[in-house]
Amino acid sequence: MTCGAPLDVRDKVSDSGWREAPRLRDMTEFRFSASTCQVEGELVPVAEISLSPQDGVFFEHHVLLWKDESVPLGSMKTAGGMKRTLGGMPLILTVANGPGRVAFSRDAPGELVVLPLHPGMELDVREHAFLLATHSIQYSFVRIKGLANVLHGGSGMFMDRFVTAQYPGLLILHGNGNVLERTLKPGEKILVEPGGFLYKDSSVAMQAVQLPLRTGMLGQHRMFLAEMTGPGRVGIQSMYVHHHSSE
Amino acid sequence: MNTYVCRYCRQPSDPSAPTCPLCGAPVDIRSSVSDSGWVEQPPIRDMAEIQFGQSHVQIEGTTVPVAEFALAEQDSIYFSHHVLLWTDPQTRLGNMSMRGGWKRMMAGMPLIMVEAHGPGHLALSDNHAGEVIALPLQHGQRMWVREHRFLGATGNIRYDWEANNVWYDTGEDSQHQDIHYPMGQYGDIFAAQDRPGLLLLHSPGNTFIRDLGQGESLLIQPSALLYRDISVRAHMHLEYPRNQGFAFWSPRWSYHKVWVRLIGPGRVAVQSVYQPPEDYEAIRNSSYTTVHRW
Repeated sequence: MTCGAPLDVRDKVSDSGWREAPRLRDMTEFRFSASTCQVEGELVPVAEISLSPQDGVFFEHHVLLWKDESVPLGSMKTAGGMKRTLGGMPLILTVANGPGRVAFSRDAPGELVVLPLHPGMELDVREHAFLLATHSIQYSFVRIKGLANVLHGGSGMFMDRFVTAQYPGLLILHGNGNVLERTLKPGEKILVEPGGFLYKDSSVAMQAVQLPLRTGMLGQHRMFLAEMTGPGRVGIQSMYVHHHSSE
Repeated sequence: MNTYVCRYCRQPSDPSAPTCPLCGAPVDIRSSVSDSGWVEQPPIRDMAEIQFGQSHVQIEGTTVPVAEFALAEQDSIYFSHHVLLWTDPQTRLGNMSMRGGWKRMMAGMPLIMVEAHGPGHLALSDNHAGEVIALPLQHGQRMWVREHRFLGATGNIRYDWEANNVWYDTGEDSQHQDIHYPMGQYGDIFAAQDRPGLLLLHSPGNTFIRDLGQGESLLIQPSALLYRDISVRAHMHLEYPRNQGFAFWSPRWSYHKVWVRLIGPGRVAVQSVYQPPEDYEAIRNSSYTTVHRW
């Protein structure tokens, strides 16, 4: 399984250790299982999947751009329906099975992040950031309780959790703007704007911390950031969902 | 002796470097100039570094670029809190309050800036696809910047603001007037004091710059103006296209075009993303305006 990253470019790493996600070249094609994925466009990229008969992918229904008529669609019910509804997450995910072609995109400038998952991996992804995942990946969600009142007016922040058991899988995310990744050492901390968080290894702990800053007319607003503590990878996006500071 | 002057930031620069160390503009490219004289501001290259004081800022990404600061102990920057993307825990952050809080709040401008003091790392990014524009300011140099385009500035740059005085009002009568500010109600004014400083802006879309000679004028979309030298004057200009058999049935409506006229001397910059003002409501009153009826 490959990720389509160009091999003839230099690694772009900032002085403080953030590595840019490799920008996939227009029409890059890569394989997963017996199927292929081709990435088209660069401003708002499209992932076009050619599914073999034994493969399938799941996704949120509104990211489906087009499909062959013959590709069957099904639903994948998720656990915790009420919580998901309250958290603004999709209640039902859609599954497309091969053979046939199907294409996905989200409607924002950005880039696709292709994450091949080896068996035994766990990855947490910001809600509404995942584009598609192969059917061998197990899907659940987690609630970040510490960020409850900071981010969503009390309903909390949900993250999609993707787990591979004994088989590898492919996960494709859409990051708004540019995507940067950094690997934190055990105990190493970084403070991130919560709306800029894109994904992390489940080994990275995440909690809200209040900064010694006040904003607003009378200083009635508090400012919070998400504190990430290693070990593991953290991915951020430069065009973020801005969460207003709490009153 | 170094005689190279960067064509974008107008500062003496290092011709041997791949990018200007003061503004990040690529050195090894040909200038891209339109027939009418607009110079395309080349995007700062991915991972280019810009030096200021003992610190530097590195620009990462090209769609929605991130400005990552490595602050030395004696250096500081300030910015609006909503552009902070991430920070090292050891970077010292504090409030920088400003005058005119009530007016700023009414105009939708940030009330309190955040100061960051080194040593430490932090990164800023705006929330729109576009470019980061780096403007090194010489001691005493002042620049007008459209509101909400400011990304960050070094601690020695003084921040102020003033009313743009480009407005018009529409509505049925004085009881129902609606005041429009096509260029924004206020503009940000930045001035380097004591020593040179660095000003970072975020420009949605692409950016084009042009030098206006003494008395030379130009009409532009009001919301497209990104920055201008303080020496460049601005006022509203209205154009009424020739009526070719079409007429509104109500005196509340009229067909016109709202412009801002810029008058040199000085440098002006426009962004390619803008919001055109409403053109159909009759204008009852306005700031100083010139009018042309075709």
